Amino acid sequence: MNIPGSGIVKGMVVTARNMLGSYVDKERLTTEQYPEERPKLPENSRSFPFLVYDGSDPEAGMRCVSCKICEKECPPQCIYIVQDRDAAGKALKRPKVFDIDIAVCMSCQICVEVCPFESIRMDTAYELSSYDRFGSLVLDKSALLKSNEYYHSIHPTEAAETDGRIEADRLKKEAAAAAKAAAAKKAAEEKAAKAAAEAATAPEPPKTEVQA
Amino acid sequence: MNDLLQKFNALPWDAIGQWLVLLPAGVMLLAAAGAVALRNLIHAALCLTLSFIALGIVFIALGAEFVGFVQLLVYVGAVAMLIVFAILLTRPSDLAGAMSPFAGFGPVGGILTGAALLIALLAFIFSSPAAKTPMPSMPVAPVAQIGNLLMLDFVVPLQAVGVLLTAALIGAAVLAMEDKKP
Amino acid sequence: MKFFDLLETAPSDLLKWFVNLLAGYGVPAWLLAVISAVIIIGTVIGVFLGLFALCSVMERKILARVQNRYGPNRVGPFGLFQPVADGIKMITKEDLVPRSADKIVHFLAPVVMMIPALMVLAILPYGRGMVPAELDAGILYFFAVGAGTEVAVFMAGWGSNNKYSVMGAMRAIAQMVSYELPLIISAVVVAMIAGSLSPAAIVEAQGTFAFGFIPGWYVLTPWGFVACILFYIAALAESNRSPFDLPEGESELVAGHLTEYSGFKYATFFMAEYVGMFAICGLLVTLFLGGWQAPLPFLTIVPSWCWFFGKVAFVAFTMIWVRATLPRLRIDHLMTFAWKFMLPMSFAAFLAAAAWHYAGRGPLAWALSAVIVGVPYFILGNHFTAKFAVSNRRYQFSE
Repeated sequence: MNIPGSGIVKGMVVTARNMLGSYVDKERLTTEQYPEERPKLPENSRSFPFLVYDGSDPEAGMRCVSCKICEKECPPQCIYIVQDRDAAGKALKRPKVFDIDIAVCMSCQICVEVCPFESIRMDTAYELSSYDRFGSLVLDKSALLKSNEYYHSIHPTEAAETDGRIEADRLKKEAAAAAKAAAAKKAAEEKAAKAAAEAATAPEPPKTEVQA
Repeated sequence: MNDLLQKFNALPWDAIGQWLVLLPAGVMLLAAAGAVALRNLIHAALCLTLSFIALGIVFIALGAEFVGFVQLLVYVGAVAMLIVFAILLTRPSDLAGAMSPFAGFGPVGGILTGAALLIALLAFIFSSPAAKTPMPSMPVAPVAQIGNLLMLDFVVPLQAVGVLLTAALIGAAVLAMEDKKP
Repeated sequence: MKFFDLLETAPSDLLKWFVNLLAGYGVPAWLLAVISAVIIIGTVIGVFLGLFALCSVMERKILARVQNRYGPNRVGPFGLFQPVADGIKMITKEDLVPRSADKIVHFLAPVVMMIPALMVLAILPYGRGMVPAELDAGILYFFAVGAGTEVAVFMAGWGSNNKYSVMGAMRAIAQMVSYELPLIISAVVVAMIAGSLSPAAIVEAQGTFAFGFIPGWYVLTPWGFVACILFYIAALAESNRSPFDLPEGESELVAGHLTEYSGFKYATFFMAEYVGMFAICGLLVTLFLGGWQAPLPFLTIVPSWCWFFGKVAFVAFTMIWVRATLPRLRIDHLMTFAWKFMLPMSFAAFLAAAAWHYAGRGPLAWALSAVIVGVPYFILGNHFTAKFAVSNRRYQFSE
């Protein structure tokens, strides 16, 4: 038999169980108490770009060679690069000025995809609010340069992959260079051997003052 | 707290008491005048509500607590709301005072009518037997006495009023019912 | 033991000490009476405003826990200073009045709302001998003064000069008037059995203990239980609380009659609603739950005012619990429920109480009154919760 009002009582039992359970069962309360507890972001999350440097000196270990491909490919055109020149005016393979306006940047990651030198990557920092509307949202080179260790800490898989690629490239270059050196050495040895063989078989030429 | 109550009761209420009646009565008269004279219909209704409240306070100050509370409950809680609902639901297009057909008589006619009514009422009240009997003392349990009177001595008028109210309720329901198509 | 006795009479002892101190300085008697009245009134209002502040944060925290989240927990320990932050916010908000609003009516509505809410606190017995105003017709005073709330709701709705406010006000008044009937009849049932309309006498009448340990509260009788539930539901409707908060539901009519109120005026309405809720909980406790009486004979050492406020806190907690559970009622469902279910049930409770009294208050009386309330409950309840057969729709306008 249907007792009228039993539905309400059942509903109130469910509510009470929820309420009392929230004190006992820690899994019920899924609230993260920001800013004491930060959310655990997935590994591929991205916010704005940064420049990677190897080693301990940012300026010396910077991977960027100022090729300006990222500046050209950036859709909202938020990157501004000025190439460094030495005292004589010859272009150096490093940027003097590298600014990214993160108020404009749309985190599309195209600059990362097109960089041939694995030097620009996406950061995950999101607490970037400022009171200044335009000035402090333009990050210059010193603010953008972050170490490879930092890159490993935020994107371990990607960083390991990048390092592997760089290592493989370096090995290939070394192998190519070694092969070239070996070939050159072999060519030189062959040439020397041939010359020695020719010198051994050929008649003694008259001693002239003209030397070869 | 009983000795405080005694101190409270020992205050010179006879001197203060008349002001407790005269002030709400004055407010009631002013509010009634406002209810009649104000142009804005809702303001007039609210002034009428204020006069009901003041009348309730007069009853309480005169010692008739039950009547005073019932006045507040019924008149303010139900009748005033009814008046207000009637105004709201039958929204006249111009709430701020349409001219009434008696407006041409001016204030003299109103004063004369009011004076005549006042004299007639005073004459009837002072010549009635109620004015000649002395005021009885306050009973210990006034509400119980009213209940007894209503249920024992005056039960027939009570039931008649009940039947009347039921008829009115059923009539209102019938009037408000929508005609159902077969 | 002595300590508990001291606690029991502590409030009145403090007042007496202070009054005697002033009398020692030669203050005249009439001024002493006025000062003591002012102190009592100030204390009662202060206690209830403090309870309002506590309730506003506890409601949010309890609702949150039911919904598996924390409530406010930033301001103060466990978020308990949240009302201070809310108060500062309300006071510093801009007070907007619509240009074409009726200024006097719009201004006076919060005032007229707050005054009855505070006035009804005068007749509740907070403890043994602790009633601010001993009125012979106290219960009637409660309902008479509570009628002022309806005037205030109308003034709020009309004064805003806003269609939705007027509609919200009309619905709110219809709801309040409809639910006043079961409310008053349930109260009258108790007054009939207790033999008096005075709250102090009603509490005294519930001071017996049946079999030595079952308290003689009216909620523990069949008619009293039904009357208590009816009173509770009608109390929820009178204070416009969920599930009867259609007049102020945000998704329905913006905020109904409160749409055009901002800042401190809105805070006044909010305060009046909560203080009214506490007052009606207090009346429920007085009428049905035994007021300041302890539930078991040996627990009378705990001061009476502790029991009163504990019971009021429990009833308020159940009101918050109900709010967390039930969805909002539609206006026609609300009115149907009041007129077609609650009013007949309140008459049934009335009959059952009379039968209980005249059958001698013995076991036969208990069985008889249980039958008199039980049968209509099941019949009416099943009628209204039955699944209606699906028939051809009758289109009103297109045919």
